[in-house]
Amino acid sequence: MATEANATQKVTLAKALNMGLRKAMEDDPKVLLMGEDVGKLGGVFRITDGLQKDFGEDRVIDSPLAESGIVGTAVGMALRGYKPVVEIQFDGFVYPAYDQIVCQVAKMCFRSQGKTPLPMVVRIPFGGGIGAVEHHSESPEAQFAHTPGLKVVACSNPVDGYWMIQQAIAHPDPVIFLEPKRQYHADKAELDETATPDPLFSSRLVRQGGDVTVLAYGPTVKTALKAAEAASNEGTSLEVIDLRTLSPLDMRPVFESVRKTGRVVVTHEAHVNLGMGAELASRITEECFYSLEAPVLRVGGFDTPYPPSRIEEDYLPDLDRVLDAVDRTLSF
Amino acid sequence: MAEFKLPDVGEGLTEAEIVTWKVKEGDTVVINQVLVEIETAKSLVELPSPFAGVVQRLMVPEGETIPVGTPIIAIGDSSTTEPVEPVEPVEPVEPTVTPQTESDPYLAMAEQAGAAGAADSSAEPHDSAGIDLSNPAASGSGEGESLVGRMKADRGATRRARKPAAAIQTQAAFESTGDTAPIDLDEQDESDGPAVPATAAAPVATGNVRVLAKPPVRRLAKDLGVDLSSVVGTGPNGAVTRDDVQAAHGDSGVEASGPPRRPVAQGEREWREPIKGVRKMMGQAMVRSAFSAPHVTEWVTIDATRTMEFVERLKARREFRDVRVSPLLVLARAVMLAMRRTPEINSWWDDAAQEVVHKSYVNLGIAAATPRGLVVPNVKDAEQLSLLELAGALNDLVEIARSGRTQPAEMSGGTFTITNVGVFGVDSGTPIINPGESAILAFGAIKKQPWVVNDEIVVRQVTTLALSFDHRHIDGEKGSRFLADVAGILEDPASALLY
Repeated sequence: MATEANATQKVTLAKALNMGLRKAMEDDPKVLLMGEDVGKLGGVFRITDGLQKDFGEDRVIDSPLAESGIVGTAVGMALRGYKPVVEIQFDGFVYPAYDQIVCQVAKMCFRSQGKTPLPMVVRIPFGGGIGAVEHHSESPEAQFAHTPGLKVVACSNPVDGYWMIQQAIAHPDPVIFLEPKRQYHADKAELDETATPDPLFSSRLVRQGGDVTVLAYGPTVKTALKAAEAASNEGTSLEVIDLRTLSPLDMRPVFESVRKTGRVVVTHEAHVNLGMGAELASRITEECFYSLEAPVLRVGGFDTPYPPSRIEEDYLPDLDRVLDAVDRTLSF
Repeated sequence: MAEFKLPDVGEGLTEAEIVTWKVKEGDTVVINQVLVEIETAKSLVELPSPFAGVVQRLMVPEGETIPVGTPIIAIGDSSTTEPVEPVEPVEPVEPTVTPQTESDPYLAMAEQAGAAGAADSSAEPHDSAGIDLSNPAASGSGEGESLVGRMKADRGATRRARKPAAAIQTQAAFESTGDTAPIDLDEQDESDGPAVPATAAAPVATGNVRVLAKPPVRRLAKDLGVDLSSVVGTGPNGAVTRDDVQAAHGDSGVEASGPPRRPVAQGEREWREPIKGVRKMMGQAMVRSAFSAPHVTEWVTIDATRTMEFVERLKARREFRDVRVSPLLVLARAVMLAMRRTPEINSWWDDAAQEVVHKSYVNLGIAAATPRGLVVPNVKDAEQLSLLELAGALNDLVEIARSGRTQPAEMSGGTFTITNVGVFGVDSGTPIINPGESAILAFGAIKKQPWVVNDEIVVRQVTTLALSFDHRHIDGEKGSRFLADVAGILEDPASALLY
């Protein structure tokens, strides 16, 4: 499906991220990519496909299978003026690098009293739904959003993927960049490379409605939108907000929506216990207490490790579970 | 309409031959039904369907060898027999595509997931949009497993049937509590067990539990200056609703869309208020009493100056510092004492049984004006309480009543009532006996009035007591003696020593 350059084109999230990375590398020679199989192979999901061929082995670096080393090396590079973008092959592989991320990446700028900002991006394909084995379907976002010094964002669609990856790379602070792997090769969207993107750290109203606000990010945005469509057939109008940024949270559109609807359902794939939904519920309660007709309800993964793929569809929040929560919130 | 693409059957193979179609166009298939038999370089494999629906089109003829990722069959929604959409000509993944290799299980998974997920929203074939999906430089993780038929078919934006249990539960919660006839009087009168409202499917809060109300209702109450604790809730579990607050505010209700209030016509000269709740209950009780027990009312005007002095002395005592001491306390105690001499006052005419029920205990009711209307909670076994204990009991009772939290049990089983109409500034009245009792004492206002003492007119604190009693079994002599005894104690509290 070859298209004219510069015209709008329909792309998948995988392609959009690939284009965004390419653009960032073209715009700034300090941008480097590093990770397992990101070079020759183009990454297991082909997000970095073709980039090593075009930018060379010095800028697209195949690393050993050692996440701590990947992130640690990137810290050094960032301190020396580069803008490394590292790929953690799968969410569940990030933990060897967790120490580097929490103890170095997050703290460097503070440690040096702001003298050494650390412009780097850690890309993590996250979430489940592709039938993979253990370690390949996790949603660790709360672990990073809980850590001061890290910015955490999650794209949900190709257009955001294209813009947000570039914005994250351009951002002076370290950004954990979460990509819903289930969406990589799913829906295509019209991408206009000449458009002006929304700011990186902003949430977005993606569907207007009046009865219940549904908050989602990453892979559950699509779930929420489908739930909204199904609900509208039943005469219930859901307002859907794609949070996009998890740290910092952009609560203003959320508060505006809650003041209108008085009812909120938060959905994410991560475990509910102490997840993003808990923080959102707390902030909403603090700011919108007198607007709440019902407690903020959360729909997420159960408090178990991510299950074997055979039953993962029962674990992941789906349209039905979101709508059950909508029913519950409406019954108050 | 969904297209099923030839999957990587998990062996890292790149192509397969369509051997035999097991379905034909127009067939209805279910998930996991075998669609086709394919032959890879390694084996003959049956492919189950990831979708349910009607086969719209078989896109590859038998005998053809095609690369992994090529759409092979289109399956549509079974409910709508939509015409086959003009699908873009199958783009049999460019022949130049180099085959996938064994390193790509996750790519295949993501693609398959993507295809399943996107199936509802677009009919266009999913190609890899220019990304080279192949790469011979694979290192091979070997973790591939057969995913064929595993991905759940995407149902699009449709919903499974609601889980009945949850739905019914919610519904039941509403139905069982939505109707709020608060207290069945008969039941309340005759059961001496813990009286629970007949409708209380949910536990009724006891003690000092906060009023149930949603935050926006609390805000409304705050804005309107309505004390939530004084509002009778009509919502689930007795929660106070927006309408309740507005009704309590006397607001005719811009939003009073609910049935409780009839819309007031223009130029309103009269309006209708539904009789419900406490009001309804009291109304029924008063009618029954007034038209079944022949009432006699006697009154006596007394000099209560000594009682007032006694009250002041009590207030100064350490042990009374935490309770409110009032003339009512002295009156209550006086009633307990006077009843020893005239216990009939504390009995009851059981018309149905044709018996007079005598009671060895006194549950002393105190009629209290509350924002909800009149309630008459009673102090159990009041005759056994010392003056100090009685003071504490009265305090609690009045406080709870004023806050609207009087529980049914506290209002049932009364044997005698004092109604303190004096607080409204009136001298006295002809009170109506509470059902189940035989007498009621009205306590008028205590005012400074001219009074004759030793043939001289002096200023004294004067009040009027009025006693209504059931003349069926309390004749004038007994009623009069009781009233005179009470009056005597109020005139001279020291005479209580005589009892």
